[in-house]
Amino acid sequence: MASEGKQRDSRAGGTGLLSWRRLRRASQILALVLFIYLLLNVRRDGGGWLAHDLFFRLNPLAGMATMLAARQWMLPLALGGVVLALTLLLGRAWCGWICPLGTVLDWARPPRRLQRRVSLPPQWRQTRYLVLFAVLFSALLGSLAFMVLDPVTLLQRSITSAILPATHSVVAWSEKLLYRFQPLQTPLEHIDGFLRDTVLPLEQPFYLPALLVLAVFGGVLALNAIKPRFWCRYLCPLGGLLALVSRVSLMRHAVNREACTACQRCARECSLEAIPSSGTFVAHPAECTLCLDCLESCPTGAISFRAGTPPAEPAPGGISRRAALASVAAIGLGAGLLRLAPVLGKAEPLTLRPPGTSETDLRQKCIRCGQCINVCPTGALQAGVLKSGYDGLWTPVMVPRHGYCDFACRRCGEVCPTGAIPLLSLEEKRRAVIGKAEIDKSRCIPWANGLNCIVCQEMCPLTEKAIELSQATAANSEGYQTALLLPEVIEERCIGCGICEHQCPVRGEAAIRVRRA
Amino acid sequence: MSISRREFIQQMLSLGVSAAVVAAALSILDCSSQPFPGPGSDNTTPPPPPPPPPGDAAYLAVARGESPRAMVEAALAALGGIERFVRPGNDVIIKPNICVSFRTPEYAATTNPEVVGALVALCLGAGAGRVRVMDNPFSGSAEEAYPTSGIEEAVRSAGGEMEVMAGMKYQDTAIPYGQKISHWPIYRDILETDVVIDVPIAKHHGLARLTLGMKNLLGVVTNPGALHTDMPQKLTDLATLVRPHLTVIDGVRILMNNGPSGGSLSDVKMANTVIASHDIVAADAYAATLFDLQGEDIGAIRAAAHRGLGTMDLDAIKIEEIPVGA
Repeated sequence: MASEGKQRDSRAGGTGLLSWRRLRRASQILALVLFIYLLLNVRRDGGGWLAHDLFFRLNPLAGMATMLAARQWMLPLALGGVVLALTLLLGRAWCGWICPLGTVLDWARPPRRLQRRVSLPPQWRQTRYLVLFAVLFSALLGSLAFMVLDPVTLLQRSITSAILPATHSVVAWSEKLLYRFQPLQTPLEHIDGFLRDTVLPLEQPFYLPALLVLAVFGGVLALNAIKPRFWCRYLCPLGGLLALVSRVSLMRHAVNREACTACQRCARECSLEAIPSSGTFVAHPAECTLCLDCLESCPTGAISFRAGTPPAEPAPGGISRRAALASVAAIGLGAGLLRLAPVLGKAEPLTLRPPGTSETDLRQKCIRCGQCINVCPTGALQAGVLKSGYDGLWTPVMVPRHGYCDFACRRCGEVCPTGAIPLLSLEEKRRAVIGKAEIDKSRCIPWANGLNCIVCQEMCPLTEKAIELSQATAANSEGYQTALLLPEVIEERCIGCGICEHQCPVRGEAAIRVRRA
Repeated sequence: MSISRREFIQQMLSLGVSAAVVAAALSILDCSSQPFPGPGSDNTTPPPPPPPPPGDAAYLAVARGESPRAMVEAALAALGGIERFVRPGNDVIIKPNICVSFRTPEYAATTNPEVVGALVALCLGAGAGRVRVMDNPFSGSAEEAYPTSGIEEAVRSAGGEMEVMAGMKYQDTAIPYGQKISHWPIYRDILETDVVIDVPIAKHHGLARLTLGMKNLLGVVTNPGALHTDMPQKLTDLATLVRPHLTVIDGVRILMNNGPSGGSLSDVKMANTVIASHDIVAADAYAATLFDLQGEDIGAIRAAAHRGLGTMDLDAIKIEEIPVGA
């Protein structure tokens, strides 16, 4: 990584403009800013000139798991190979330099004096390999449910379904409150005009499991108080994958024994505790994220990163063969349980999927990134937490009462990084049947109350409307006979876009509902 | 650092009290936003009728021809010129019908862009300080619907602005003459601006039979779906409060069936007409004749006329019909 000359430079100017630590921080900030920019921008124009799904494609875990589950070669996901190659060359540079969740966790590190001085058994570090095994083994069985534990999808989900909606709600509420004061109105209009459709969506997004998402994210942050980057050390499946690869990486942390004074500064500085505080002081490649803090902390310049040093000592703390086998068996059985989701046989009648999406594709290709939910302009797409069984954990479902499938939109198909939601032309999407609307005549206003309404018919976007009105006469509230229009669904025409259910003025559950076709 | 039990209790108490004070202050602010009186169901006072037109200006103008721009200009000239409505420096809001984001103008689901553009140009020509055009589509976002409808480009090139209607501006407003609805969240700017011009396109509608000037006002409220039961009365209630200074009905292309969003060119008829009046009821009643109907046939027009919001008796008013050569 650092040639001898460079290394001396960095030592000489540890706080200089081009120190390695600064470079690493700049790369982290850049990657996080890019990540957030992409997830905000994708809602407007699909990411601009950059691939909006860059981070999902770079993620080798997502690529491997998806190709395993779908049993097919997927070229767009092969970009993860670049990160694998980088890891083979340098070690876990992704974790230290790029991973947006890692960056957030670096920032969320509590001040040193507040850090709990607990020492955790080193074999806990093996947990991440079990998580990795769970992801890959269940992928082999055809389910990607464990991808909810992928760090990139986890951060994406936390930002888009919890942090942004909460921010939106606070901003909208304060705006409405402050808007009553005349002098504030013009500045507020400017602020609102700027925020809308750039940082914040046009309408208040609402996601049912937002609190759950926030709790998980909060948990990951809270664990950071026990150990810096607790998640990365012990839990992260992507970290686990890269750690495995790093064991044979080319560049390695090396310590010049002659120069080393055994001051232990590097070991104290290392936020992942990858450097043993005695002996050789050589970082274990599976733990080192190449943050290079040690490089700059060493008073004698004894540390370098160079190619070809012999393999380091075995990882700190292995687990017994028996424990490993037991865990693997438990995960295997657990993954088997996932397959028992009842929906594989008969789907829940109200579990609607994005247009053109097959149940199998969702299970095998959906990496749970939530990008479709992020871009859905009406809020129709929601994370179905367990709506379609364990196996369908966090796959998108359409909830018409929240939002309808916009006739002019095919964004979910455009942004899906794995093709779990097919990319349809607008014409095809307008013919793709999501479900069929059905009127509950015991609650429908004209049928049950004898009053005119027809909102559903008005809303129907089809040229040949899937809701037709028949004429009847009824006595109105003043006793006159009036013409009453009774809606009926023409089933062959209905595509289940759900705007009728969304707009139905009946309180609570709509009197017209879309059911799976 | 450790704190004593007493300190802890003190801190918690002061925290609680300050939270309560802030909450109380906010809830007082919140109450002050509800100016409406009790339900207006026994409200029988009629709203004031529209004023008579000045001098020899027409009460209602109908222009027929090929060019939407020329028709708008001719109709306005017959009403006494745009200056009758727009004074220098005025803030003008034009409310077209941009109901969905998925139809281009030739399907006659949204107001003709040339009609809107011509009105913007006229207003600015009369010295208007600012001309804004806005609607809140029921399907798709305004951001998408504005360009699709062609209205965005027409308005921009005429020098006006498109406003995306902001959530914070819908404020619960009393409807003093309301009989069925006594208050509703209404877009504040529509009520506070100097001039409102209602520019619907004449279309078929399943319930109202036709959607015209009064129905187009549903675009300035939240939750319009809830106004569909007993729509004629509720639309009339809304029209007692939201009273456009001028109604210009786009009858260039009219949608004869499958309204309001249409989708088939065979439902579109070239009527090549623009209707304008300061009286929304009269304008709607005349527009009904494009569909071989009378004002009487449309519930909302009948209800509004009975309430005294305007007249649907086309024989009693001065109508100027202007042929506009190609």
